[in-house]
Amino acid sequence: MTAILILLPVALLLGGVFAALFVYAAKSGQFDDLDDPPERMLHD
Amino acid sequence: MSPPIPLSRADGAAAVEAARLAPAAGPCPHCGTAVEGGGDAFCCHGCEIAAAIIRGAGLEQYYEERRAFAPRPEPVEPGWDRVAVTPDADGTVHVRLQVDGLRCASCVWVTEEVLQRTPGVAEATVSYATGRASLRWDPSRTDLPTLAGRIAALGYRPRALGAADPGDHDLLARTAVAIVAAVAVMGTYEALYAGWWFGAMDPKFAALFRWVSLALATPVALWSAAPFFAGAWSGIRHRVLPMDLPIALGVAVLYVQGVAATLAAGEGYLDSLTMLVALLLVGRLLESRGRRRAADAATALVATIPRSARRVEGERLVTVPVETLAPGDRIDVGAGEEFAADGVVTDGAGQVRLALLTGEAEPVAVGPGDRVAAGTVLLDGALTVRATAVGEHTIVHAMAAQLHVAADRGLAPSAADRIAPWFTAATLAAAALTFAWWYGAGLGVALARTVAVLVVACPCALALSQPLAAAAGLGAAARRGLLLRSAQALLDLDRVDLVALDKTGTVTTGTMTVASADGETLRIAAGLERYSSHPIARAIVAEASARGIPLPSGSDVHEESGVGIGGIVDGRRWTLRSGGPGEVRLADERGIERIIRLSDATRADAGATVGELKRSGRRVVLLTGDHRAVARRIGLEAGITETVAEADPAAKAAWVEQARRDGHRVLFAGDGLNDGPALAASDTGIAMGTGAASSVLVADGVIAIASLAPLLAGMRAARAAGRVIRMNLRFSIAYNVVAVAAAAAGLVNPLVAAVLMPLSSGVIIWGASRVEAAVRRAEA
Repeated sequence: MTAILILLPVALLLGGVFAALFVYAAKSGQFDDLDDPPERMLHD
Repeated sequence: MSPPIPLSRADGAAAVEAARLAPAAGPCPHCGTAVEGGGDAFCCHGCEIAAAIIRGAGLEQYYEERRAFAPRPEPVEPGWDRVAVTPDADGTVHVRLQVDGLRCASCVWVTEEVLQRTPGVAEATVSYATGRASLRWDPSRTDLPTLAGRIAALGYRPRALGAADPGDHDLLARTAVAIVAAVAVMGTYEALYAGWWFGAMDPKFAALFRWVSLALATPVALWSAAPFFAGAWSGIRHRVLPMDLPIALGVAVLYVQGVAATLAAGEGYLDSLTMLVALLLVGRLLESRGRRRAADAATALVATIPRSARRVEGERLVTVPVETLAPGDRIDVGAGEEFAADGVVTDGAGQVRLALLTGEAEPVAVGPGDRVAAGTVLLDGALTVRATAVGEHTIVHAMAAQLHVAADRGLAPSAADRIAPWFTAATLAAAALTFAWWYGAGLGVALARTVAVLVVACPCALALSQPLAAAAGLGAAARRGLLLRSAQALLDLDRVDLVALDKTGTVTTGTMTVASADGETLRIAAGLERYSSHPIARAIVAEASARGIPLPSGSDVHEESGVGIGGIVDGRRWTLRSGGPGEVRLADERGIERIIRLSDATRADAGATVGELKRSGRRVVLLTGDHRAVARRIGLEAGITETVAEADPAAKAAWVEQARRDGHRVLFAGDGLNDGPALAASDTGIAMGTGAASSVLVADGVIAIASLAPLLAGMRAARAAGRVIRMNLRFSIAYNVVAVAAAAAGLVNPLVAAVLMPLSSGVIIWGASRVEAAVRRAEA
C-alpha cells in the first residue's frame, strides 16, 4: 500500500502542474480567440 | 469581309448588341466588375492602385487563392492622425481597428501581409472571424494615417475601435481549477465510498484520502467560488436576495461541514461541493461568453471613422478635426460627406440625406439660407455652411444623449432570481424545523440532520436551470444573426404578440439602388460614373455589374459638383444630372433624355419573414415617418397590411406605448437614431446592425446580418429556451422539496448526496443541450 503514498502525491503534483499551466495560459489570453488560428495555418 | 447576314431585323439588332458587348469585355482584375476593353483593364483608379500595392509587395498569389473579389477601393477618410494609440514599453505603439469588407481568408491574408511589409510595422494581425485588426508599429518610421490608408487602398474599410475588453481570463482560470479539483476529489471519494461499502478500509488511508480531499476542495471553496460570495455580499448590501446567496450559503455549509468531518474522521460532502462549484462556474462561463459576443458585436458597430471638416480660412481650405470647430466657422462640404456641425447654408446647392435624423432615405434639396444638421450626409452638390452649433450642442448629439439616458433602464431579474429569496427562506425554515424536531434525539443528531438539509438544499439545479438553457438559446439566435443583450431579452421575445417594423433600413435595405433603367442607359451612365464615389454613382455602377453589363470607358469625364457629370462614351457626349427626387436623367447631345429611377429596395426576405410572423399569430405593423403612399407600397411588397405613416420619432414612441397600454407585448425593430425613442419604449427593441450606432445603445438586441429573418430565429430560440427553463425550474424545485424532506427524515447520507446532486444537474444540462435541436425542428 506504500505505492499509494508515493503515487498520490505524484498524481496531485502532476494535476497541480497542469492546472497551473492552464491558469497561466488563460490569464495570458491564449483562449481569447479560438476561431482564427485554424484559419491562419492554412495560409502560412 | 462582310458581316454575316442577319436572319431577321430583330435578330440582327440582338446580334449587333451582343457583338458590341461581348468582345474584349473582361472582369476588372481587382474587384471583378465587368469592364469593356478586356485584358487587364481596371474598372477604376482605386483598383489599379490596389493591384499595384499587392504586386509591389510580391503578393500576386492573392489573386490566385482568393475565393471572392475585393470590394472597390474608396479613399480613406481623413482624421486618422487623431485616433488615440497606446504606447508600449519598447517604444512602439499599438491600436485596434475594425476592418469591414473582408470577404474571404485571402482578404485577411493580403491585408496582413501588406501591413507587415510596410516599413516600421512590428506586428499586424487581422482576425477572419471578427474583422478585428491589431497593429503595432514604430512611431518614428510610420504612422496610423499611412497604415489606415494602405488598408483602404486595398478596398477594405478600417474603423477605429476603443480599448480592448479585459475578457474572462479570471473566470476561465477559476473554472479550470474547480474542474481539476472536482475530478480528483471524485477519485478520492470513490475510494472512501468503496471502503465504507466493503467496511475494510485501513483508517490510516481513510484519513489520508480525507485530508487530500480537503486540500483539493479548499482552493475551490475559497478561490473558485469567490464570485458567488462576492455576488451574495453585494446583494445583501443592496438589500436584495440574489441567486448567489443560497449558492454561497450552500458552499459555505458544505465546506465547514467538510472541515469538521475531516477533523472528526466523519463523512463529508466535499465531492458534491467541488462538483457543484465546477458546474456552476461552467454555466457562468457560458453565460459570459454569450454576453461578450453580443457586446463585441455592439462594439464593432459603434466603431467610428474619425471625422474632420474643411474649414474656410481666408482664401484657403484647411482640414481640421471636428472638435476644433467653433460656431461662426465656415466649412466646405462636398458630395458624399457628412456635415460636421449644425449650420446654415451660405453658398451652393445640393441634396441632403436626413436618414440619421428622420430615418428616411429620400433626399431633401437645400440651398442658401436652409438649415442643415450635423451627421446628415450631402448626397450631391457642394455647400459652404456657416456653423451655428458644434459638438455637444448639435441636434444629433442631443438625441444620442437622450438615448444614453434611456439605455440605463435596469435589467429585469431572472426567474431564478425571483425565486431565490423564497428559496433561501424556505431552506432556512426547513433547517430550523429539522433542528427543532430532532433536538430531542440529542444535539449531535440534530446538528447532523440540519447540516444534511442545508447540504442537499444547495440550489445547484435551480441556479443552473436558467443560465445553461438561456446560453444555448442565445447561441442558437446568435448563429442565425440575432445578438441579444441578456437572457431576459431572449425570453421576452417569446411573449411578443405585436411586431412593429420601421421602414427605411429595416424592411428596406436603406441604401439607394436602381429601381428601373434600361440596359443601354445604365451602361452609358456607368461609363460616366465608374470613377466617381458619389452614392448615386455607386448605385449605378453596382446595378450595371449586377446585370453583367461591362463598364464602357468614358473619356473627357468631368464631374460638376451639384450639377452632374458629363463625358464621352461610345464617341458621343452625354450628361447625367439629377431629375428631381428619386431619379437621374441621362441626356445626349440633342437633349433627348433617358431616366434612371432610384429607390430604396425592400429586403429580399422581408415578405417571407412577415408571412411567418403572421402565421405565428402575431400582428405586424409598418411604422414609418415616410408618406402614406410610400408606406403603403412598401407594405404591399412586404405583405404588411397595417401601416402607420408620417410618424415622427416621438409619434412612433407614442404609438408603441399606446399599443403596450392596450395590452400588447411589442417588439420594435428599427435602425436610425430617430428610432431610439421607439426602441426604448418597446418591450423588446431590436436594432439593425447596419444602422446608426447609437440606436444600438437602447436596443435589447442587434441583427448582425442584412436580413429580417433573425427576428424569427430569435423567437424560435426564445420559445425553445423558455420551454426548457420552465421545465428545469419545476424539476429543480421538485427535486429540492423531495431531497430536503429525505434529509430531514435522516435518509440522506454522503453517498446518496454524491449521486443525487450531480444527477439533478445532469438533467438540467441535458435539457439545455436540446435547445438547438428544438430550434432546428421549428425551422423545418
